[in-house]
Amino acid sequence: MHEDPDERAPASPEETLRLIEAERAAAQRNMQPDPRLTYVPWGVAWLVGFGLLFLRLGPDGRVFVAMPGWLPLAVLYVLLIAAFVVSGVSAARAGRHVRGVSSVQGLRYGVSWAAGFASVVVIASRFSDRLPDPEVVLLWSGLSVAVVGVLYIAGAAIWQSRDMFALGGWITLVNIGGFLAGPGWHSLATSLAGGGGMLVAGFVEWLRWRRGQC
Amino acid sequence: MSDEANRTAPPAPDRELDPVIHAQARLRVMVALSVLREGDRLAFPRLQEMLGMTAGNLSIHLRKLEEAGYVEVVKTHQGRTPTTLIGLTRRGRLAFEEYTATVKALLSLAEEK
Repeated sequence: MHEDPDERAPASPEETLRLIEAERAAAQRNMQPDPRLTYVPWGVAWLVGFGLLFLRLGPDGRVFVAMPGWLPLAVLYVLLIAAFVVSGVSAARAGRHVRGVSSVQGLRYGVSWAAGFASVVVIASRFSDRLPDPEVVLLWSGLSVAVVGVLYIAGAAIWQSRDMFALGGWITLVNIGGFLAGPGWHSLATSLAGGGGMLVAGFVEWLRWRRGQC
Repeated sequence: MSDEANRTAPPAPDRELDPVIHAQARLRVMVALSVLREGDRLAFPRLQEMLGMTAGNLSIHLRKLEEAGYVEVVKTHQGRTPTTLIGLTRRGRLAFEEYTATVKALLSLAEEK
């Protein structure tokens, strides 16, 4: 019994502290989803999807690259669905077998996204038939990106994440700026600044996550 | 905060490290559970997987931590499947904070010498 390695105390205070820090970092990584999986798929979806939208439906009706009209939106939707699946699975894996306050928070936060987009769909649908195409795209993407920006800021309040707060603020600014600039420009801003912002946030959060400092 | 929080005196460097925590396996259990947010509990199999311990071994150490009042083990049902959920008690959280503070104090004392 005396030789039970489990009962052995760490040899020194240094070793104890090292053990605590290593175990804490490993546990943090285990319990927090990999930020590359939570941010990067969304960043890619925006970068590519809104990028194509800009190239096909540019400012003042310009077409920078000829392609079927349905293609940009189809690509955007497929990439958004893929991002939803990838980030959802990784968050569910990190949170599995955890019960209590954070599962309630996560559930309600998930509901807030559904609520936001349900509202966007209902509001934007009503105007879709009455507006010219470029304005329809602007309406849908302006409302959707607004919801994303606000919910990132709200998420930052729940999880006390400075990076998430910065990202939500940035997306909101980019959205307002792009919207004021008008159709076409909004797609470009969302693609480069919005999608790019998500990629940067994913990278910054990943650096923290890797060290177990989330 | 509660009275317990007020009793957390600054760690005296000459104080003994809490023997319940100061054992490799139980320290690892305490660290893993301390990462959970207050009010959260973790299911037994996930904790076991995180720590790479056998079920029997983990149970033994959890019982010791439970006897000390540091850990709460709740048996519940997830649908029809029985589930065991584990979390730190407030007392356990404080004991772990105190333990860590004492280790750090010992370390800085050693550096001063």
